[in-house]
Amino acid sequence: MGGKVTCTLGEVKQRADFIIYWGGNPAECHPRHFTKYTIMQKSRFLPRGRKDRTMVLVDIRETKSAKAADIFLQIRPGKDFELITILRALIKGQPVADEQIAETGLSRAVVDDLIARMKRAKFGCMFFGMGLSMTRGKHMNSAALLCLAAEMNAFTKFVAMPMRGHGNVTGADVIMRWQTGFPFGISFNRGYPRYNPGEFSTVDVLVRGDCDAAFIIGADPGATMPQPAIDHLARIPTIVLDPHVTHTSRIARVHITTAPQGIAAPGTAYRMDELPMPLKPALKSPYPSDEEVVRRINEAIARKPFWLPDGRQPQMVATLG
Amino acid sequence: MPITFHLKRPPTVPLEAEVLSPDVVGSLTNSEIRSLTVYHGKRQLPLSEFFDVEGEQSDDLVFHGALNKVRWVGRAMSRGSITVHGDVGMHLGAHMSGGRIEVHGNASDWVGGEMKKGLIHVHGNAGGQVGAAYRGSNIGMKDGVILVDGSAGLEVGMRMRRGTIVIGGPARDFVGLQMKGGTIVLLSGAEIRTGAWMNRGTIISLQPLQLMPTFACSGVQNPVFVNLYSRFLQSWGIHLPFAASEGVYRQYRGDLAVSAKGEILIWQPA
Repeated sequence: MGGKVTCTLGEVKQRADFIIYWGGNPAECHPRHFTKYTIMQKSRFLPRGRKDRTMVLVDIRETKSAKAADIFLQIRPGKDFELITILRALIKGQPVADEQIAETGLSRAVVDDLIARMKRAKFGCMFFGMGLSMTRGKHMNSAALLCLAAEMNAFTKFVAMPMRGHGNVTGADVIMRWQTGFPFGISFNRGYPRYNPGEFSTVDVLVRGDCDAAFIIGADPGATMPQPAIDHLARIPTIVLDPHVTHTSRIARVHITTAPQGIAAPGTAYRMDELPMPLKPALKSPYPSDEEVVRRINEAIARKPFWLPDGRQPQMVATLG
Repeated sequence: MPITFHLKRPPTVPLEAEVLSPDVVGSLTNSEIRSLTVYHGKRQLPLSEFFDVEGEQSDDLVFHGALNKVRWVGRAMSRGSITVHGDVGMHLGAHMSGGRIEVHGNASDWVGGEMKKGLIHVHGNAGGQVGAAYRGSNIGMKDGVILVDGSAGLEVGMRMRRGTIVIGGPARDFVGLQMKGGTIVLLSGAEIRTGAWMNRGTIISLQPLQLMPTFACSGVQNPVFVNLYSRFLQSWGIHLPFAASEGVYRQYRGDLAVSAKGEILIWQPA
């Protein structure tokens, strides 16, 4: 696997003449995406705007985004990984049987046309949503699309970008990455960061009951995670920092109300292309910001002695591979 | 006489105990073993907090109890044996380069992760990533044998380069993902995407498989090496059919998305 070949949304706006949305519904989930960055904008290199761009939507059902697409490819549920792997084989000239392609819900003619258009494009961009990354295969579906984007660079310029969710999820990944080298699924229990999604990722830790306390900032796992994870959150001391009452705050032992970021508290949010955007508060809030609460908790913890019986600082024992 | 460890109380959070390896404890007295440091979550505690230790100096370790949350048992061991009477947690025998591990119960994820040599036999079920490469690493298991009598989870043998994995029960998705060599034997088949993106290596299944579209049938045969494998696995009571009178293997080449050098053999009884 070759990492992520990507760019900023500014570059997409200026140059992308071939755009694929895979497993996403931007018309309803990212309503400004079309108009600000992808298909509607006129730019220096694409002066006719929409007429200079081709948009393909790949999804398992016809959503509102399909109306905006030039080509809508309806594939069978759970066949994303197979279709991407077929595309990877076909762009290299490897033979794939017609009946195998038909298993994905598309015909050979449609797939051949897609590949021809991809290779003809001057600047292609693939955006993928939760329809790809959260269905069976999960991280491997995303990895497949990133691999396809990387391999398409043997023919033309191609990039890929995830359609990130609400809030500052990209910011959390970016900050963790430059602080620790890893974006998520990190354990600090040995005194240094270790990365192992599946072992240290939040949902897995909660489902297995591997933690005895939880500190949740600006997230609502109680609304999105599986029931065993929610049950464990209810069992253990859970502290929530959130401006609102949420599913998680209802099961938490402590809920600290904080000022909403970007509205009543300053900060930085990261756009889906990982560009930092400073947020200026428009209103004043009687509540402290998340940052202030975390800093005060940190100061209080720093005043406590270490947990060893004689108050010594624990030492690192061994490095695990 | 082996060193025997009895779990006194189950850990409330994962217990990282990579010291539970013959290479570490084999030359120590029991009191020295009891004072070895383990990580209970972030807390460093002596091993005696969790285990009663009995027996004499030995390279053979025996564990009793539900070790579900005890991780890294037998990490990087190069000699001796470990026997677990009960379940065991993640990373059993990871990076091991010799010796033998036997589990009379279930094992969690990453059994034999990036192991170099030795034998792991799990009599129950195993989790995902058996013999796999760790995230960010290019090469998984390099040699050795992993036997799982029961079922196994996702990504069995991911990026393995050499060695043998035998799964007795059904395995889940992505068996042999990005496999670079070695052999995986599936006695009860697997779910979907078996052999996805495999570069080299062999997957043998005694049950029909739902293959990736990027695998092409390249004939029907009974390869000679299956005969050798059958003899090799017979010592563990595993029967791998190879005689033409019993049936044939349908051979598939792939994965065409990366290369066509991997092979999947699916048994068709006569």
